[in-house]
Amino acid sequence: MKKVLAILLTFVLVFSMAACGGGGSDYDEGPIKIGWVGSQTGDQAVFGTCESNTIKMLIDQKNAEGGLLGRELEFVGYDVKGDVNETINATKRLVSQDKVAGIIGPNASNLAIAMAGVLTETHTAGIATVATNTKVTVNDDGTLNPYSYRVCFIDPYQGSVAASWAIDKLGYKTAAILYDISSDYAQGFRQYFVEYFEANGGKIVADESHNSGDTDFRAQLTNIKKANPDCILLPGFYKEVALIAKQARDLGIDATLLGGDGWQSETLNEMGGKAIDGSYVVNHLDDNDPAVQPLKELYRETYGQDATVELNAYMGHDAFLLLCAAIEKAGTADPEKVAEAMTQVEVQGLTGTIRMSPEDHNPAGKEAAIQQYKYKDGKVAPYFVEKYSPANPI
Amino acid sequence: MSQFLQQLINGLSLGSIYALMAVGYSLVYSILNFSNFAHGSVIMLGAYFGFYAMTLLPLPFMAALVVAAIGCGIVAVIVERIAYRPLRRRNAPGLYFIIAAMGGSIFLENLVIATIGPTFKTYPQIFASTAFKIGDVSINKLDLIMFVIAAVSLLLLVFILEKTKIGLAIRASSYSSKGATLMGVNVDKVVFVIFLLGGVLAGLAGMMFGMRFTVYPTIGIITNKSFIAAVFGGLGSLPGAVIGSVLLGMIETFAAGYVASNWRDFIAFALLIIVLVIKPSGLMGKITEDKA
Repeated sequence: MKKVLAILLTFVLVFSMAACGGGGSDYDEGPIKIGWVGSQTGDQAVFGTCESNTIKMLIDQKNAEGGLLGRELEFVGYDVKGDVNETINATKRLVSQDKVAGIIGPNASNLAIAMAGVLTETHTAGIATVATNTKVTVNDDGTLNPYSYRVCFIDPYQGSVAASWAIDKLGYKTAAILYDISSDYAQGFRQYFVEYFEANGGKIVADESHNSGDTDFRAQLTNIKKANPDCILLPGFYKEVALIAKQARDLGIDATLLGGDGWQSETLNEMGGKAIDGSYVVNHLDDNDPAVQPLKELYRETYGQDATVELNAYMGHDAFLLLCAAIEKAGTADPEKVAEAMTQVEVQGLTGTIRMSPEDHNPAGKEAAIQQYKYKDGKVAPYFVEKYSPANPI
Repeated sequence: MSQFLQQLINGLSLGSIYALMAVGYSLVYSILNFSNFAHGSVIMLGAYFGFYAMTLLPLPFMAALVVAAIGCGIVAVIVERIAYRPLRRRNAPGLYFIIAAMGGSIFLENLVIATIGPTFKTYPQIFASTAFKIGDVSINKLDLIMFVIAAVSLLLLVFILEKTKIGLAIRASSYSSKGATLMGVNVDKVVFVIFLLGGVLAGLAGMMFGMRFTVYPTIGIITNKSFIAAVFGGLGSLPGAVIGSVLLGMIETFAAGYVASNWRDFIAFALLIIVLVIKPSGLMGKITEDKA
């Protein structure tokens, strides 16, 4: 009896899994499948949730307008929980089982880098949204990942913008850095910041690191305090930034904080509070730009008035536009042909005109937006300062 | 010198959080001889209980702390009833307890992810975050309050264990639960009290942690470090758990402060391994055959 029960249970488990998976379909009939990979749990959950919501919403909108190539669009997405292995599995599944036309996401550089191999193997285009590390599209040895694309600018650019803003605009001479040693994003950002800052006469007085998931940074901050820098670069994500900023102020550090697009989150404004008041960040676009308002409103209509709209909504939107344009140009949902069309299209996105450079698969010629966090009406939020690009970026 | 003092305070404050968490692991281990990994998730729930008590109800700090403590006490007892008691009844080997504990931990974590959501929550700021300063050394008010609460609750725990009848029963069971049963101790009752106490401490630790840092479902990962601290100090020994925690906090802080921040975990854990190689039962641990 027990054995029968065990076998029965095994079958139930196996079939309940099978029931979850969908059957395969051909590229030229049925709905066109748009793949998405991102993290809806873990540190990146805020970004991933907003991104997948945006894509779903845009797909619904597109379908209401009659779809693409006369066919419906269908969203197929997987939560990879910030995990490299899950990303690889999800990518394989999207390509081989779900037969998607192309993949949007992920948000994080390390995941996008992990995914590049699968994309190359399976000849499917992946459009990373906010993965700013150079290695997402171009390897260390200078070879191109032929099927990896992105709609955001790259870390070196962010690093040199932040360094140039600090040294050329604000006139700072010394800087400290506290970064996540296990994050490709933070490492790339840091490296180019240091290069630009030092090449232009600045001095890095403290270079400290932490591990991802850390919550206590006082040991490192005590060292930074001793070095007494003009500014501190925090090339990380909002959670760490909020904790670091608070602990820094507690220790009596009043240097200006600098950051990048990883800061963007309404959660940071709430968590960081007055500790991040006065900080400068480099961003892809400004949230108050009139061009982004329609998407923001649509998002809030769809997901509730107090839904937080992250940068990922705008980048996801641009990635979606690019993918749709490529599918249209290819005239089919065959991923290989869609990938070929990727460098031949140009779309007017929310973050500027987007055209994939054939050499490095990055969007050509984008300006960054500088924002400053200010305390107004009992709330800290980033305010647009100006569009900025350094004279000679590295 | 002021930098040294500052790092000392940093280490002490980190260590006192670890200590509150580590004691819960040690309590359960001393009686049931297994590592209750679900403890980390109960701590996480404590952070949420406190958060909602302060924002939704909204209760003042001390009342919310009591809510978190009692809530976690109840959750810990429920986890014991559902996951461990059936195993105890069948005299299952320790490994099964650990698996059940891990299952319980993953269950609770995902329950929170599914119901409340994975995003971070922040406690309302009730203690002005301005730190007070002694010379060039700054001490955060919350740290000080945490330190006091940790110390008071640990002293209370010692009082319960040393001066009350149930404490005597707990201590007796920790030497030999069979022997204690033969002497008329109701082991079920002892286990109930153990989990209740462990849960209450988890509630305090969770809420403190949440206030000091932030609240999110995977807080439990940080408790791994406090578990390691408990092993380092000697699993099953309460003073060991406290000393191990404070030492781990100190070592981490000084490694990051004086060697290099990217070597912090490497140095801290290399030291722990060395200690365990020399003294496998931990700094103050009792000698046991199977340490899980």
